[in-house]
Amino acid sequence: MARMKFLCDADRCIECNACVTACKNEHEVPWGINRRRVVTLNDGKPGERSVSMACMHCTDAPCAAVCPVNCFYTTADAVVLHSKDICIGCGYCFYACPFGAPQYPRVGNFGSRGKMDKCTYCSGGPEPDFSTAEYEKYGSNRLAEGKLPLCAEMCSTKALLAGDGEMIAEIYKQRVIKRGYGSGAWGWKTAYRETVAI
Amino acid sequence: MKAFAAAVIAAITLGVLAMFALTSSQRFAYQAFATSGARVSEPGTNLVGPRWNGAPRPDEFESEPHGKAEGEGSHPKRS
Amino acid sequence: MRRATTLLSTLLVAVTLGVAAPAFAQNPIQADGVNPMGARPTADSVNEEFLFKQDSKIPGRISIPDQKAAILIQPQGREYQAFREGWLPWIGALVILGMIAALGAFFLFRGRIMMEHSQESGKKILRFNAFERFTHWMTASCFIILSLSGLNYIFGKRLLMPLIGPDAFGALAQWAKYSHVYLAWPFMLGVAFMFVLWIKDNIPNKIDWAWIKAGGGFIGKGHPHAARFNAGQKGVFWMVAGFGAAMSVTGLMMIFPFALTDINGMQVMQVVHSVIGIVFIAGILAHIYIGSLGMEGAYDAMGSGKVDLAWARAHHDLWVEQEQARTASGPQLKGHPAPAE
Repeated sequence: MARMKFLCDADRCIECNACVTACKNEHEVPWGINRRRVVTLNDGKPGERSVSMACMHCTDAPCAAVCPVNCFYTTADAVVLHSKDICIGCGYCFYACPFGAPQYPRVGNFGSRGKMDKCTYCSGGPEPDFSTAEYEKYGSNRLAEGKLPLCAEMCSTKALLAGDGEMIAEIYKQRVIKRGYGSGAWGWKTAYRETVAI
Repeated sequence: MKAFAAAVIAAITLGVLAMFALTSSQRFAYQAFATSGARVSEPGTNLVGPRWNGAPRPDEFESEPHGKAEGEGSHPKRS
Repeated sequence: MRRATTLLSTLLVAVTLGVAAPAFAQNPIQADGVNPMGARPTADSVNEEFLFKQDSKIPGRISIPDQKAAILIQPQGREYQAFREGWLPWIGALVILGMIAALGAFFLFRGRIMMEHSQESGKKILRFNAFERFTHWMTASCFIILSLSGLNYIFGKRLLMPLIGPDAFGALAQWAKYSHVYLAWPFMLGVAFMFVLWIKDNIPNKIDWAWIKAGGGFIGKGHPHAARFNAGQKGVFWMVAGFGAAMSVTGLMMIFPFALTDINGMQVMQVVHSVIGIVFIAGILAHIYIGSLGMEGAYDAMGSGKVDLAWARAHHDLWVEQEQARTASGPQLKGHPAPAE
């Protein structure tokens, strides 16, 4: 099976936020929950870059490790998913996550903040594929349809790459060689403890 | 023993009061992280919610859409 | 004529520009994308390595109103993970099981500290009034629920989840979380009440030092002098006050996440809360032991509120004298044993 990863080519990202919108629309994500976001670094200065960031589906995911109810699991495609039936909304995964991926429907206090929601790599949850229950809780399951995450699929500049880690690393490597520069695979060292060697 | 029973009852009572106080002071993510101008209604908390059945809501097309401009459209200016 | 003037001025501008052009040519503008400062904004960009050298996290700008989301990468979560999953279970298990083992060893070595009977045995003296007992038990019952639900955050998935399955454990953990968050409030109130009620009897003084040097009656024979609370009880009081305050502060910070701190602050709060919580539980285990199984006659103080006068004379002689002097005829002193409640 493939080892699914995200790679944002910051030299191509134009901060159009279309990946964010696509994600929200595809999964009917309510307002205020941002499974994907675009962060601009060095804003307004030379060398400014924007990076689209969501759950990176880490190797040895910290969220899964700290979860007090073990609601996380990793699929055969190395996608980190969680069960909203078991989640207690404690927020420890947010404390552990290096990318700020976990989101909660209520933010006022710890007591009743609801079940955690995060990027599913467009692959639903523990419920049967394409079931109503799965769509209600996690959104659509594109991976089961043989499609890659929508955010990356519709990226207008093809900055956001999704797919097998080795493949997207190779695509990125070719780009860097061709154009002569590259700001690197953002978050890879933190998420996968490796980076794209050019 | 009476003091113990009273203590347990008081603890539960205060706990329930705290529950109501905390729950009522809860803020939704859509209130906290989305500006009011971007919302047309209360969006719920958990994706499409438990009543979702895959079909478009019956009231989605029958009723008048929110915020639709009425009257004749203005003519674009010609320069 | 006007047209000629326009033509002439255009020509003039063109000539001026043409003259000025060599001056511009000295600037290092040679091709697109190369700016006068020599920087190459297209190729030269910020990168992860450079930003991590400046700061331990990578902050940026974001267009959504959630400012927490503006931080792109914060690898400190790995350290929090290492503590929570690597150290915390071991600390918790060692401290709590260590305390249980120590108490068991003490019980085997010393046995139950028995009451020493005298001619005053059978008479009762009021040690804690109804409100004091109410406050104690409100705090205590909350503490037991809080400690069990708190330990569930650490050990639940390791011990309970394999036994009862993930779904049942998820439901249980949800209720444990609710009870932890909501019963924290009566607990905090109880700690505050106890602090106000007993602070005047818990100021450390010279008698406490003598009590500690004499071994507090745990080691050897006889009981050193003690007022209403001996040094050990004062220790428990100050532990509850101090740890209770620390747990309250860190707990409140966690009940209202990100109200005052950022994510690193929340991680630190969680670490402090868990470590103090474990030490607190171990300390209270010792308190429960000596107040029930460990010493005959001690439980009555919080059970019925009235203790045997002989026990009180042995353990809190100065306090008994004070009480008897205060009420010579003594409404607290009863010639007959009080009925057990």
